[in-house]
Amino acid sequence: MTTQSMRSDVRPALVSNPSVGLRLRRAAQDTNTVLWRDTIRTLRQPEMLAFAVIMGVFFLVLFNYIFGGSIGAGAGIDYLKFLVPGVFVITALQGAQQTSLGLATDLTEGVTDRFRSLPMSQVAVIAGRTIADAVRNVASLILVALVGLLMGYRFASFAGAVGAIALATAIGYGFSWMGAAIAAKVKQPDMVGMLSMFWLFPLMLASTAFAPVETMPGWLQPFVRYQPISAASDAVRGLANGTPVGGDILLTLGWAAALLLIFVPTSVRLYRAR
Amino acid sequence: MSSNGDIVAKNPGPVIEAVNLSKSFDALEAVKELSFTVSAGQVVGLLGPNGAGKTTTINMLSTLMSIDAGSASIGGFDVETQSDQVRQLIGVAGQAAAIDEKLTARENLELFGRLYKIPRTERRRRAEELIEQFDMGEFANRVASTYSGGERRRLDVVAALVANPPALFLDEPTTGLDPRSRTELWGVIASLASRGTAIVLTTQYLEEADRLADHILIIDHGQVVASGAPEDLKRELDRDVLEVHVVDAADFTAALDIVGPIEGLVTDSDARRIGIPVGDGAIHSLDLLRSLQDGGVSIADFQLRRPTLDDVFLMLTGSPIDKEEVSA
Repeated sequence: MTTQSMRSDVRPALVSNPSVGLRLRRAAQDTNTVLWRDTIRTLRQPEMLAFAVIMGVFFLVLFNYIFGGSIGAGAGIDYLKFLVPGVFVITALQGAQQTSLGLATDLTEGVTDRFRSLPMSQVAVIAGRTIADAVRNVASLILVALVGLLMGYRFASFAGAVGAIALATAIGYGFSWMGAAIAAKVKQPDMVGMLSMFWLFPLMLASTAFAPVETMPGWLQPFVRYQPISAASDAVRGLANGTPVGGDILLTLGWAAALLLIFVPTSVRLYRAR
Repeated sequence: MSSNGDIVAKNPGPVIEAVNLSKSFDALEAVKELSFTVSAGQVVGLLGPNGAGKTTTINMLSTLMSIDAGSASIGGFDVETQSDQVRQLIGVAGQAAAIDEKLTARENLELFGRLYKIPRTERRRRAEELIEQFDMGEFANRVASTYSGGERRRLDVVAALVANPPALFLDEPTTGLDPRSRTELWGVIASLASRGTAIVLTTQYLEEADRLADHILIIDHGQVVASGAPEDLKRELDRDVLEVHVVDAADFTAALDIVGPIEGLVTDSDARRIGIPVGDGAIHSLDLLRSLQDGGVSIADFQLRRPTLDDVFLMLTGSPIDKEEVSA
């Protein structure tokens, strides 16, 4: 590329028929730019991070001190050990809900119109946001872990803690793209907020995040056993507590990959079709 | 690869070209076979009331909306099939401020500069230059959600200029601005044109089109009802307007009876004002005033003036531009 100066009026060089490589490099550049922008926005809205952490703490306290006694005694387990890794996964899932709400709000703002008139990769608008949200997720997971430590929870090892947070972030990232697709389709933030209750609550409560599958009614068990949040909860629990995880890590990564395979192209198509 | 300036220089034809542009929304034909060209340094004004199809036209030309029929090109690149290239050549300032509300003006310019792929040092220098040139230093480091309407609008227009685009689309750029900011922005638009930018400007303000545009398209219901240089459009009427202001409501009714139905007559009962098109200026006016006086009409004052675009619009479409919307 060459750049020509006209007095002080500099114009970027025109890229007319970019190769696939250049196209990808420009898309990566745009994603990085949108990530920069969304990170500034996240830092200016600390309430988003606070909300995620407060919800995590809320679940820790609510389930440990109120339901914990009966669930733990019923299943014959140390409930705090069971609960904290589950709340990691739930916190990451709520991060995905924030992607959905954040993107929907973005779409109502005028800046989206400018993005669409700029020589930029339109995928980058969503990709940058999901990455920014994943970074925020890691921050809220660390804060939730600290609260867990204060309540008396202990990780089996440092590596296990890192693995647990990484895996929770991975499944959260897959759901972020689902949230993005819903936002790109529905567009109205309040409607997106309402809709998120329909996927968030069943996934969250009918899972092994808060209670072992054996404590649930038989008709519900098949759904609970195989849905992504259960697989992720079991896998994260194994990593955090240093217990055997079996195929759960692969199953969780498989779910994350499947979500990406479905919702990356879907959300990009819906976003473009506006 | 070459710079955008070269691309335009190599194509001596128009920078912006629209040929039979059409767009429908369900049953509504928003734009019907609109054709026009804009060459470097030219300002074309699209003038019309709300719903005339001005914004739809801008949206099609700036790749924001698909084209139903006809075609458009920017710098020789087709808007539909070569939108990647087109987006590198255009700047758009829409009716809704297309800026990031959570970022400062400086950060907004950095964001758009990065997305235009302007190298770091150049985009920083460009941002400083624009902030200084447009007198935005006072609020450049404040988050945009705290801006006044004028500050927000100014940043929106400036954001369209980050990459020095050879083609600029301004959709009602001065709507909602105070008179001082409006005059300032007029100066900016004129200076951009003088430096070779091809500009399409939509407006509901007749004065604005008159002041800025080299060529005006008057649009009503998606169709061009007249086009030409502002002076030519006004000459097309080939008559002056005698504006008579009468004393009371009875005078107003009496005056209307005497004048009778004339094509292009403008009446305003609240202000008790009548605008009468007069063929041969002074002589006809004297006759009219005399017959009003003979008919017992008390005249508060009168004035003989050249037609405004308001009169032109009324002549062509049979209805005045909605005053409510213009002043909104």
